[in-house]
Amino acid sequence: MSADRDVSLAEFRESFFYGSRCDLSFKFLRDLSDEEAAEFLRVLLERLGDAYDTGDVEPLVRAAIEAQVKAYGRKAPDRWTYEDAPFTPPDRPLAESRLLLLTSSGHFVEDDDPRPFGVEGMTQEEAEARIDEFLREAPILSAIPRDTPAARLRVRHGGYDVRSARRDPGVVLPRDALVEAEARGRIGALADEILSFPGATAQGRLQRLLPEWVERARNAEVDLALLVPV
Amino acid sequence: MSVGHVSRAFEQAGIPTVTIVVRAFRHVAERMRVPRALVTPHPMGRPLGAAGDAERQREVVEAALGLFESAEQGGTVQEFSAPFRPGRASV
Repeated sequence: MSADRDVSLAEFRESFFYGSRCDLSFKFLRDLSDEEAAEFLRVLLERLGDAYDTGDVEPLVRAAIEAQVKAYGRKAPDRWTYEDAPFTPPDRPLAESRLLLLTSSGHFVEDDDPRPFGVEGMTQEEAEARIDEFLREAPILSAIPRDTPAARLRVRHGGYDVRSARRDPGVVLPRDALVEAEARGRIGALADEILSFPGATAQGRLQRLLPEWVERARNAEVDLALLVPV
Repeated sequence: MSVGHVSRAFEQAGIPTVTIVVRAFRHVAERMRVPRALVTPHPMGRPLGAAGDAERQREVVEAALGLFESAEQGGTVQEFSAPFRPGRASV
């Protein structure tokens, strides 16, 4: 693209989706119409103008969340639609239950890199660049000992903006909140291992792995599982 | 979507689950008939709230734990109603 060529609004929107302006917090711009995107930007700027004086960014953030909900919510139904809703009632009180935390955040311990595609130390940027490959491959499940210091946690995931998870793993891996719940007796125990995988993955291959994951949970003698997609 | 499959497999294997999902993906949880879903008004990548907001993380976890106790059938969807509040994490 030459420097002096005009950029259309459609090109601008699409460039946030793994393009020249890739920003996974705003990749949803691709799924808005030009008119919707223009209105979103107008509202953002209007509210920014207010924030100069008020210092209140909450209305800006609210506009972004509303646009995100609109963009994702209208995506066409896909093949993973089910009629039945499985349900197993808990067989004991929470205070006596052992709970597994499993998240699709893409966390792992610093010296236990899951090495996707055999690559050691893959960067977040490379994971984003290789998103199509991730979506064709089976996920690698990482076990994180529950007492792992936050400073030893790493996160890498080609499908979402990991900046928040880097600042505070608790935004998607609520280990500390669950340890507190355990300490005050709300749950019996948090299991010794937390499980995480990058959720941008091949769904059919993931499904074939699930019996192993269930077995792993059974071996950990968990009674309940708290699941956190990003 | 990935976690929707995990939730269904665990539940079918006899392990009750609660899934914490952001509003942008509520329709995915509903289509997949996730057994118990807590829908938070947070942006993608922050289902428990903003970085540094430990209080909100505790509130969301408590609401999720409560769903284990209150849900009576599969496909239960509950809203976490308090609005997202931007955090104060240092960059």
